Amino acid sequence: MQEIQYVGEHLLPGRIGQVAILLAFVASLLAAVAYFFATQRRSLPEAGQWLLIGRGAFLAHALSVFAIIGVIFYAMANQYFEYQYVQAHVSEELPMKYIFSAFWEGQEGSFLLWMFWHVVLGLVLMASAQRWEAPTLSVLSLIQLFIGSMILGIYIGFGDEPTRIGSNPMMLLRDVMDAPIFASADYVSQIKGNGLNPLLQNYWMTIHPPTLFLGFASTSIPFSYAIAGLWTNEHKGWHQPALRWALFSGAILGTGILMGGAWAYEALSFGGYWAWDPVENMSLVPWLVLLAGLHANLIAKNTGHSVRSAYVYYLLTFIFIAYSTFLTRSGVLGDTSVHAFTEMGLEWQLIGFIAAFVLLSAILLGARYKQIPSPPKEEPTGSREFWMFIGTLVLLFSALIITASTSLPVYNKIRQAFNPLFEGRVITDPIPHYNKYQIWIAVFIALLSGISQFLRYREFNFSKYARRFGLHIGIALVLSAVMVFLTTRWIDVNAWQYVTLLFFGWFTLLANADYLITFIKGNVRMAGSTLSHIGFGVMIIGILASGLNQRVISKNFFVMDGLIEGASDEQMRSNILLFKGSPMVMEGYEVAYTQDTIDHFTRTFTVNYKRKNKKGEVVESFDLHPNILYDKSFTKVAASNPSTKRYWDRDIFTHIASLPQVEIDMDYRRQREDSLNYRLHQAVVGEAISFPDTVQLSNPDTFTIRTYRAAVVAIDRAPTHPDYTPEEGDIAIGATIEVSRNDADSVFTVHPVLVLRGQLLYSYPAQINELSTRIRLNDGVFDAVFTPEMNLDYQTFTFRQGDEINLNGYRIRFAGFNRQPQHPNYQPREDDIAVSAMMQVQAPDGQSYDAQPVYLIRDSRPFNLKDEIPELGMHFRFTGIDPATESIEMMAAQAPPKPLVIPFELASNSLRSDYIVLEAIEFPGINLFWAGSCLMMIGLLFSMFVRIRQWQQA
Amino acid sequence: MKKIYIIAIVMIAAAIILLTTAAEDMSTYSTFADAARSGDRVKIAGQLSKDKEMYYNPEKDPNYFSFYIRDTKGDEQKVVLLSEKPQDFELSEQVVLTGQMKDDAFVATDLLMKCPSKYKDEEVYIKEEGK
Repeated sequence: MQEIQYVGEHLLPGRIGQVAILLAFVASLLAAVAYFFATQRRSLPEAGQWLLIGRGAFLAHALSVFAIIGVIFYAMANQYFEYQYVQAHVSEELPMKYIFSAFWEGQEGSFLLWMFWHVVLGLVLMASAQRWEAPTLSVLSLIQLFIGSMILGIYIGFGDEPTRIGSNPMMLLRDVMDAPIFASADYVSQIKGNGLNPLLQNYWMTIHPPTLFLGFASTSIPFSYAIAGLWTNEHKGWHQPALRWALFSGAILGTGILMGGAWAYEALSFGGYWAWDPVENMSLVPWLVLLAGLHANLIAKNTGHSVRSAYVYYLLTFIFIAYSTFLTRSGVLGDTSVHAFTEMGLEWQLIGFIAAFVLLSAILLGARYKQIPSPPKEEPTGSREFWMFIGTLVLLFSALIITASTSLPVYNKIRQAFNPLFEGRVITDPIPHYNKYQIWIAVFIALLSGISQFLRYREFNFSKYARRFGLHIGIALVLSAVMVFLTTRWIDVNAWQYVTLLFFGWFTLLANADYLITFIKGNVRMAGSTLSHIGFGVMIIGILASGLNQRVISKNFFVMDGLIEGASDEQMRSNILLFKGSPMVMEGYEVAYTQDTIDHFTRTFTVNYKRKNKKGEVVESFDLHPNILYDKSFTKVAASNPSTKRYWDRDIFTHIASLPQVEIDMDYRRQREDSLNYRLHQAVVGEAISFPDTVQLSNPDTFTIRTYRAAVVAIDRAPTHPDYTPEEGDIAIGATIEVSRNDADSVFTVHPVLVLRGQLLYSYPAQINELSTRIRLNDGVFDAVFTPEMNLDYQTFTFRQGDEINLNGYRIRFAGFNRQPQHPNYQPREDDIAVSAMMQVQAPDGQSYDAQPVYLIRDSRPFNLKDEIPELGMHFRFTGIDPATESIEMMAAQAPPKPLVIPFELASNSLRSDYIVLEAIEFPGINLFWAGSCLMMIGLLFSMFVRIRQWQQA
Repeated sequence: MKKIYIIAIVMIAAAIILLTTAAEDMSTYSTFADAARSGDRVKIAGQLSKDKEMYYNPEKDPNYFSFYIRDTKGDEQKVVLLSEKPQDFELSEQVVLTGQMKDDAFVATDLLMKCPSKYKDEEVYIKEEGK
């Protein structure tokens, strides 16, 4: 076979990228090994050299990772579609601002994003970890080695089916797939990009993945410290640095998860911020375990207890990250998740990744377990460390049961591997399933985070302190009961389980606020944890308020009554049909769809909400602007973006659930237009006609006959129509037609337009939605309005200014030149020489008329633009100027006058298309959820900064 | 015995109890025949019958969308979804429904579709003529 010499390919970036990928992989291996020896031989003089090699290798790795990313961005920015990854994620239409989103849309890009953050964090470690540098960076490099292998894309083994390791982002399209197009040498110029999924084209996609992946990456650091501690048999020194990193990780990973929720709530039409989707769960689980680790780390640092637990939690955190990576990227979740990646042949590699780190952790932990210090005496029951430890167990327990339920597809896969007949299990209703268990976890966490603040570390004499403790806790409990009572005035809490949760939510809020004020007296250095715990309480109240009391506004039983087809589950029905300009009253609001505008692919709707008081006065009015995004071909809605009105105590969430099919699919609209049953009618201008219209009501022979009445009121030669943009040379005719029907009591005035542009006819019909009627002009209208030139018998006259001649009894006078001519078909250009002749015509009955034909020299060529006096059927052409005699040459003709019979077509089966299907939901107290969860993250970050300061001052 | 062990035992016991109760929330994918027999709320996986009518007329009822699904046993059944027609519904292949049989239709309150092309498009996009 002959090798094709392709033209237009840019192969250099790809080569650089390939080299960088290999280099990154090899350098991470070298760094891991060098740092390994730097750790192993740390007491020997050669350790320093190993350390230097390790540093060099890690820096080389860092540069390579930056290079890969840089090359991919370069190829993306230049739209080198010969690269598969570029073709899959970028398109010509994609705005540059989404290039980051396009980069991490794919698996390879998101692996690189993850590696990027590891590199950044690794460099920070290198600069700050001091004696922990070698072991932690050895672990981190090992992790990078595994992730790097995911983008390696090399084949190992021989024969027909070599094993592929990783999926390389620098592959050429023609190497990835077989298609006939690659037979042509210039295929590059023929392909276009796929582009970013429109659902992902928003700013959340720009900020959520980097934050989440920084969160993922940061869990590797406490993990590395844990491994390092076990490895070097030094079980104390890492408590402080790991704690700082864990606080950072907790804040960032938490923020990343929250951003996902905010995205789902604000930009996607999920109608909520958390749905217990497997992908969401598997980002939450590592965070829960990390928090357990964080608390165990605190205990270990302060009391020397729970060192083993801290190890286990930090190790598990990263193992859960690896497991989460496997679940979301292997395709195993299949049809249980709405946003997992599809499989791409990395399953075994991902399993290897998990297995490697599980083994490493288990072996090290097993080997060192006995040597990990553990105080012989148990924690006293009245001490903070005891209850904090219980809290960490509750967190772990929560993580484990979420993982167990989420792993059901994995369980099914394993069972099926042994027994192909095994039928997979699914959770019928995931949300209640998870809620049912997690509600008790939340109750325990709230209780423990409330009481343990008041307990002290190493409390050996609780009985002395019990009075004070009891007083504070007692007050918090009583106040919580009061607050629960007040809260239920505001929101409905309809089950005792929820009342319990609400109670403990208030309890942790009040107890921690009390602690902040009376115990640490606003001492900011200690405030971080209380802030986080207060945030947790606020978040619980927010979850209960917005979750239990979300109220569908978009329902209107009165309108629905008797119209509903099929079965009924009233509370499930959340959509309402809203006609343009017809407000509808729903749940205390008068809602109206007032207008819509389209800009590129985005169509934005204006939905007005009005609230009235008892007297019917408008007390509040606001507009919401939900929009939809069409796909590139305008045949479907690619994304529907909600719009939300925010109050301090509730949100009103609005989104476009659906549109008329003709507004969704422009192909369908054209078909529909073609299939309309237009009937031709003719009317003389100024006269009314009437005609019957027969509608078949049902088969075989029930008909109804309605009578239409139509009158052409006027003809417009310079018409306007919302969809029509005039161009030079257009011949356009518009008509003003009044239409009424016997079964409707109004008269509708419409303005259909017909345009002849070159050889093509463009019709701009008019729709009367109230009558489901569509009207357009028939092309016979041109013959009716214009007299064909060939039927005109022109006579040529020569005029000087002021001359007057007689044509068929009409006195025609040339009144002078107009050097700024106006003509419907004339658009001035810079070098035009244009002049019009002002012709005055006086009819025998004494009426006078004007005409202004134009004479034009453009590009040294003469043109004339005719003018006509329609009432007289008189036509003028200005064909020449003689400068010598100051005279003009004018052609004039008069056609015999004829009645203006306007042909138009009317279709009575045009369904109305001026509506939206709207979903509107009120979420009370949702801001409490956001505020509470943000407060948790702020508390974590705050503690981190305090601890970094303490470390730097020490 | 250490308190911690007592707590551990309590938690393990709780876990076992939870797991046994959780079993009630789980089921295998059902079939229309089973759903009709039991009348229970079930999950059904099936293929969209693309040749059969899909009906959504928001002017009549914006919360009524009907279509036909062929379940794993090959039975075809009319399904009613009490909400709008989801975007890209025609493109879906595998559909997972949650709901129950009512009269002659399966009334679904939740629907999950799998469009194979959603996250990874296998097609090469050839530029259109004249663009």
